[in-house]
Amino acid sequence: MGQRVVIDPITRIEGHLRIEVEVTNGKVSNAWSSATLFRGLELILKGRDPRDAYLFTQRACGVCTYVHGLASVRAVDNAAGINIPENARLLRNLLLGVQFLHDHMVHFYHLHALDWVDVLSALKADPKKASDVANHVSTAGNSGINDFKEVQARLKKLVDSGQLGIFANGYWGHPAYKLPPEVNLIATSHYLEALRQQARTARMHAVFGAKNPHLQSLVVGGVTCATDLNADRISEFKYLWKETMDFVTNVYLPDVVAVAGFYKDWAKIGGTTNFLVYGDFPQNEKEPDSFMLPRGAIFKRNLSKIEPVDMAQVEEHVKHSWYEGDQALHPSKGETKPKYEKLDVENRYSWIKAPRYKGEPMEVGPLARVLVAYGKGHEPTKKAVDGLLKKLGVPPEALFSTLGRTAARAIETKIIGDAMEGWIDQLAENIKKGDTKIYQDYQMPAEAMGAGLNDVPRGALGHWVDIKEQKINNFQLVVPSTWNLGPRCAQGKMGPVEEALVGTPVADPKRPVEVLRTVHSFDPCIACAVHMIDPRSNEVYKFRVV
Amino acid sequence: MQRHMAPNERENQDQQKRILVLGVGNILLRDEGIGVKIVEKLKAEYEFSSNVELMDGGTLGLRLLDPISQSDYLIVVDAVQNGQPPGTHYRLPPEELEKRVTFKNSLHQLDLVESLAYSEILGNRPYVVIIGIEPADISPWGMELTETIQAQVPEISSRVLNEIEAAGGKYAAKNRVEAAQ
Repeated sequence: MGQRVVIDPITRIEGHLRIEVEVTNGKVSNAWSSATLFRGLELILKGRDPRDAYLFTQRACGVCTYVHGLASVRAVDNAAGINIPENARLLRNLLLGVQFLHDHMVHFYHLHALDWVDVLSALKADPKKASDVANHVSTAGNSGINDFKEVQARLKKLVDSGQLGIFANGYWGHPAYKLPPEVNLIATSHYLEALRQQARTARMHAVFGAKNPHLQSLVVGGVTCATDLNADRISEFKYLWKETMDFVTNVYLPDVVAVAGFYKDWAKIGGTTNFLVYGDFPQNEKEPDSFMLPRGAIFKRNLSKIEPVDMAQVEEHVKHSWYEGDQALHPSKGETKPKYEKLDVENRYSWIKAPRYKGEPMEVGPLARVLVAYGKGHEPTKKAVDGLLKKLGVPPEALFSTLGRTAARAIETKIIGDAMEGWIDQLAENIKKGDTKIYQDYQMPAEAMGAGLNDVPRGALGHWVDIKEQKINNFQLVVPSTWNLGPRCAQGKMGPVEEALVGTPVADPKRPVEVLRTVHSFDPCIACAVHMIDPRSNEVYKFRVV
Repeated sequence: MQRHMAPNERENQDQQKRILVLGVGNILLRDEGIGVKIVEKLKAEYEFSSNVELMDGGTLGLRLLDPISQSDYLIVVDAVQNGQPPGTHYRLPPEELEKRVTFKNSLHQLDLVESLAYSEILGNRPYVVIIGIEPADISPWGMELTETIQAQVPEISSRVLNEIEAAGGKYAAKNRVEAAQ
């Protein structure tokens, strides 16, 4: 019996996640992922007008607002049998593209980088050397000696104040940090750059989203941003897009490569086995055939055989979750009957159900998407992946790892971002030709079932709607983090994050930064977003080492 | 959407403080949505001077950094859990916030307080006042405020208006006909 380490809650994620691992001989030998918040959004949707679903679902989470809105609208589109106009498709794709650019950038720098970057070590860096290194790595701006001196001064002020603020909960000085001080300084500087850039990137959502936060321009049948379809607004969008892509190309990607170079051992840690992608970014009305990010499933890491996806094979297990019964059901027949007992990792230990595809746990998200696209021979993906593997001097197997997951996120950011240019230009072209149609009229059916299958920054997202008497009779969501962070199923098979953690080295059980690396690489989001202000406490970690 | 100026354009404008009233919270979780509801109500019933902006911040964390960084004086309206009886009013001045490192009970890890810390590190942290109220019920799910909190809506509204005035903003009640349209 090894040592038990509990991390509760895991910070720098969206939501409340509890991870328990067993450490034997310096490595994780067992793991349990618990989400300790109950969500039952379905309960609030019952009896409402299907057209309003998206206004509710996009309020569920503080990060993935647009994606839930889009998934709900698509589910109702599907139920009503609507084929939306091309402009609506382009605009929905563009807004989803923005979500990817913004989420992935914020994830790498603000939710994940500090697992690899020792901020305090940056104080020891020589600004001149940092400037030389930075200019050698990329053409990013703000990399003069004085720029780095200024970042150091800011950091020092923070440290001297005794209030580390956003850097308060790090494991600074931990032996698992491998970057030289200069690289830590460059990364810290880019952390601040990314803060500025993400704020501007988010404005793209406001251009065609009517408002931000919580976009209002989606509608069953298309989009509503008619007044924004003019040259001014389109060029404003394009300007912000270009600025963002400059950052992605010249800062984000080179940083991932530079950091990965020091952590090649992580190309062997944190992998899973099976992958599922619903796909997204339709290029015409043929779905899923026209998806830019193709749909597919991979079993046992076999990239030469990408299987088609059969949604009838999805089931949600509750044997280890706090719900009544232990019957595995298809989401369209899903039940949400909460029954909390106690947290017992041998029995029931999570609010998340355990989804399975053909009985197997499936990883979803950037790595799954990149692998499926790669296996299907999607040219831009192939080029980007092969290029990266070559740069790092690692074999394709390296993709099945924590490092591979983080690199895949950067790769797809670039691929999606590049594709957006074509969509912007096509939109401008259509409008110039006088095609301004953004909405398809329809008749809401009295009774219908609809599915909205999407792939969003964190992975495969499904919304299912059941309409009776033109009202929502049942609504089910299976969110990406359910796939990734769910507990064991009825057969006792681990969920992806549990599986990925097994074998992770842990140098110091009291400071399990290595565990955080793998957990954060999935970009956990347990969509909840109650953010209360608690003026009393600043205790963050509860550790129980037994 | 109002166009914001870039930070470097700040110096060129007149010396009026830009006041942002941010209602935050999740409207699907009963009293958790009080901040958003107050802002919506004030927007519907009052007109404000041009240096005042009211915003439904919803459940967004980091994406609020942009508007936060563009303001000089930030008034946040939110539910505050402080272990007092439901309906207790709070006014948290900036020094109260500076005592915090992180907020354990925030379920949204990149929350408002972190956004403030970020705005500081970027060198444009506004002066922040939090107008809060102790919620009675924030358990899922429901769109309506509890009676306890609903009864406090006029009081919270007037506190926020006073705060706007103290910050240098002006307001006037819309006439009812217009408000009804």
